[in-house]
Amino acid sequence: MNILAQLIVSGVSVGMVYAVIAFGYQLTFATSKTLNFGQGEALALGALVGLTTINFLIGQAIGTFWAYLLMLPIVLVFGMAQGAVVEWLGVRQAIRMKSEAGWIMATIALGIIFKNLAENIWGRDPLKFPSPLPEQALQIGPVRVQPMEIAIVVGALALMLAVEIFNRTSIFGKAVVATAADRDAAGLMGVNTSLVITFSYALSSLSAAFAGVLVAPVTLTGASMGAVLGLKAFAVAIIGGLSSGIGAIVGGLILGIVETLTGFYISTGYKDVPGLVLLLLVLSLKPSGLFGKATIKKV
Amino acid sequence: MKLNSIVLAIMASTALAGSAWADDTIKVGLSGPFTGGSAAMGVSMRDGVKLAAEEINKAGGVLGKKIELVERNDEAKNEVGVQVAQELINKEGVIATLGYINTGVALASQRFYEEAEIPVINNVATGTAVTAQFKEPNYVFRNAAADAIQSRMIADEAINRQGFKKPAILADSTNYGQLGQADLTKALDKLGVKPVATEKFNVGDTDMTAQVLRAKEAGADVILTYAIGPELAQIANAMAKLGWKVPMIGSWTLSMASFIDTAGANGDGAIMPQTFIQLPTTPKRKAFIEAYQKKYNVDRIASPVSAAQGYDSVYLLAAAINQAGSTDGRKIREALENLNAKIDGVVTTYDHPFSATDHEAISGNIPVMGLVKGGRVVPAHAEDLDGDKALRVKPKS
Repeated sequence: MNILAQLIVSGVSVGMVYAVIAFGYQLTFATSKTLNFGQGEALALGALVGLTTINFLIGQAIGTFWAYLLMLPIVLVFGMAQGAVVEWLGVRQAIRMKSEAGWIMATIALGIIFKNLAENIWGRDPLKFPSPLPEQALQIGPVRVQPMEIAIVVGALALMLAVEIFNRTSIFGKAVVATAADRDAAGLMGVNTSLVITFSYALSSLSAAFAGVLVAPVTLTGASMGAVLGLKAFAVAIIGGLSSGIGAIVGGLILGIVETLTGFYISTGYKDVPGLVLLLLVLSLKPSGLFGKATIKKV
Repeated sequence: MKLNSIVLAIMASTALAGSAWADDTIKVGLSGPFTGGSAAMGVSMRDGVKLAAEEINKAGGVLGKKIELVERNDEAKNEVGVQVAQELINKEGVIATLGYINTGVALASQRFYEEAEIPVINNVATGTAVTAQFKEPNYVFRNAAADAIQSRMIADEAINRQGFKKPAILADSTNYGQLGQADLTKALDKLGVKPVATEKFNVGDTDMTAQVLRAKEAGADVILTYAIGPELAQIANAMAKLGWKVPMIGSWTLSMASFIDTAGANGDGAIMPQTFIQLPTTPKRKAFIEAYQKKYNVDRIASPVSAAQGYDSVYLLAAAINQAGSTDGRKIREALENLNAKIDGVVTTYDHPFSATDHEAISGNIPVMGLVKGGRVVPAHAEDLDGDKALRVKPKS
């Protein structure tokens, strides 16, 4: 029983990282029906910018915890700028040309460019990210958990909640929702849909960059840290459904927990298999995802 | 036909020009990863090689000529290593190559040297297959401790010396990890012990809870590892998180800076085979450490084993060239296989280190166990390096 609880706690913390990145996929899909396949690289860039910033702040004799908090807004702004650049360079043309696949190649290509850029600036070595919280594990009931793992879960939920509240209450958020519901109609009503799409890309990369600085203290930071995470989050977005925020959370939790449970109860060599089996099952039984709305494409 | 003869003429003239230039220096290739996850080993090896070449050149060089090192970064990638090999052989015209950190890169690249009859001295790569790729005449030599030696030492340390009974093996899913895991299982089997758990993980995995819990639930009293720095650190950190502390004993990669620095206090106590520990236990070692620290302005050598083996590999090659009296690959190989000069190296004293059938300079008795303590590697058993035991020499065959 203790072991099961321990495994679930680890799975939840890994799963919430997947959920935040998957949430980023959903943001752009909602407004433009396109995805940023460079999410993993956006995550790595965010973490690396965060690393440089936090090291600079620590160098200014600011404690690690406060340096981490001060670093967050800088990373979030950087993430937004990076996302806007991706939309501007890679996606806008494809949408205007009504190209079905142009944005896929463009976002993948931009991802590779960002990765090479990061390798040239920060090198290829994995770097240690200073942990803002004590690294000593806490004993909670039968379970031992690192404070940073709790921070990951809280931070991930807070970010998703903040974006949802923004979309539902602010006027700009309503424009986002309107564009997501019907881009042409929103455009006719005077919503600047192209700006809204740029904004959704900015928010999407912001989520990825945030996930990067959340996960960095428990792993290592490096240009290739996002590759596996980005791919797994894509699976999560498919499992949960590309149009549902709750779907991202549930999908992330399912994948994270299934992975750790399989690793323990079946074999660590097969850790990644059930997630992919689940992905195939969802695709064949409910292609819009567990929480997705079925879309009917009229021809 | 005509085109062919023109090409031949151009090739002949460039070859002549090349040899005319090469008259005052002897070109030696140097291939290793100077960026990426293995960079600490690659850079330390390179710096050790450069230090030795500089000393030899200051003392007059070999055959009256200076050694010129041609460094190339193979990025720990097999395909880049192959390109580097072809460039060094065909364009630079090296007479021998030193290097290789990664077993995969060595295995992919050595074919070209074998065909060109140019000797290679592996000074870091440990895969057992590295020197066994070709039959006689074999142009591949090594002065690093092969995995077959290391896995025996790990098993012996855990079972015989420390008396553990229930080892768990944690290895990554690369060639290095899986071949090492097979070697380890074999070595344990010889001692009549079966691992209670054998776990696997991918390079880049961030959460090791499942692997470590499985080892814990199987009742393991020691963890044996075959992986590289960052993931080894994740294992140490996962054990600390779960509040479970058993000793970690593993291959020499536990001495990597990326393990020691990332795991911090959690990595203290890890034990691994080392051919060289940064301690002045012999006069030669003292001189080497001081020269290295002075030249590169460091206190802790990032990978002392790589630096020392890199340094020794240059002296082995230089002695062979001197004995051969020529830079002809075949003659250098023959000289290496029957080296008459005794070489006072950092790792050991090389007395006929190679023969026609044995291309391994490091024998099972040479490495000692190192222990991570306060961010450095120190001897695990101080008595191993006491008095004349400090200098361990390969037994005569």
